[in-house]
Amino acid sequence: MADDRARVSRRVVLAGLAAAGAVAAVGTSAPRSAAAQALGAQESVEAGLKRLFGGRPLKDGSGVVKLDIPLIAENGAVVPVTVEVTSPMTPANHVKHIYVVADKNRIPIVTRVAFIPEAGQAYMGANIRLGETGDVRAIAEQSDGTLLQIKREVKVTVGGCGG
Amino acid sequence: MSDIGKVRIRVPSSIKAGEVVKVRSLVIHPMERIERDAQGKIIDKKYNFITKVTVTYLGKTVVAFDTTQSISENPFFSFAIRATDPGQLKVVFADTAGGKYEGTADIKFA
Repeated sequence: MADDRARVSRRVVLAGLAAAGAVAAVGTSAPRSAAAQALGAQESVEAGLKRLFGGRPLKDGSGVVKLDIPLIAENGAVVPVTVEVTSPMTPANHVKHIYVVADKNRIPIVTRVAFIPEAGQAYMGANIRLGETGDVRAIAEQSDGTLLQIKREVKVTVGGCGG
Repeated sequence: MSDIGKVRIRVPSSIKAGEVVKVRSLVIHPMERIERDAQGKIIDKKYNFITKVTVTYLGKTVVAFDTTQSISENPFFSFAIRATDPGQLKVVFADTAGGKYEGTADIKFA
């Protein structure tokens, strides 16, 4: 009985050690997950837009894209933003993605939101960080590939991006 | 913080069939920012932040957010869905540390 228990516990310990070793090995070989950094990299906003859209032109989206963000953000760590795009949201004509881009952030691409027609409305809201005063853009990518952009300058009293 | 991963979802109290409803969701998460040492160099470590938010309704991914560290701590997201049938709405938040936090809300008609 006592012998049996000892054996089980040794097995458990060995299994635990093996698992820990595997985790450590993965951790050292991939210090930073490539997938996690795919969207948000430290780059200039031009580089970010080029990476996302290639050279596709950004058309003026005023009237179609509605960007709601405070003009003055007292606390850059939490800035509420909502984006709404007027679209019939049918399989033939809908909004595929909404991008939120903060020009002055070190990681300018804030978020990408993907929609399917069943969403009924291209609407998203989020709390974002802003490092300093600068433009915030909302870019809507429609199902035919058209990119519609709208920009708004936000004054930031206390930056919230740190690094 | 022991509260990490606490998810709250709010749907309108009365929903009519076929209506487009706005849903708000919140998760408690630190969303670690990039840290720098005294020389201003980025400290290379695995930062824990949410990269993916998926909204599933009636077995379909309706809305998906890909997020970066430019999203606030304890992130809040809102989105719209067309409530065609009663069913469960599920929001899953996934972070870089492999954590998956999910919350559900029932869509039912008054």
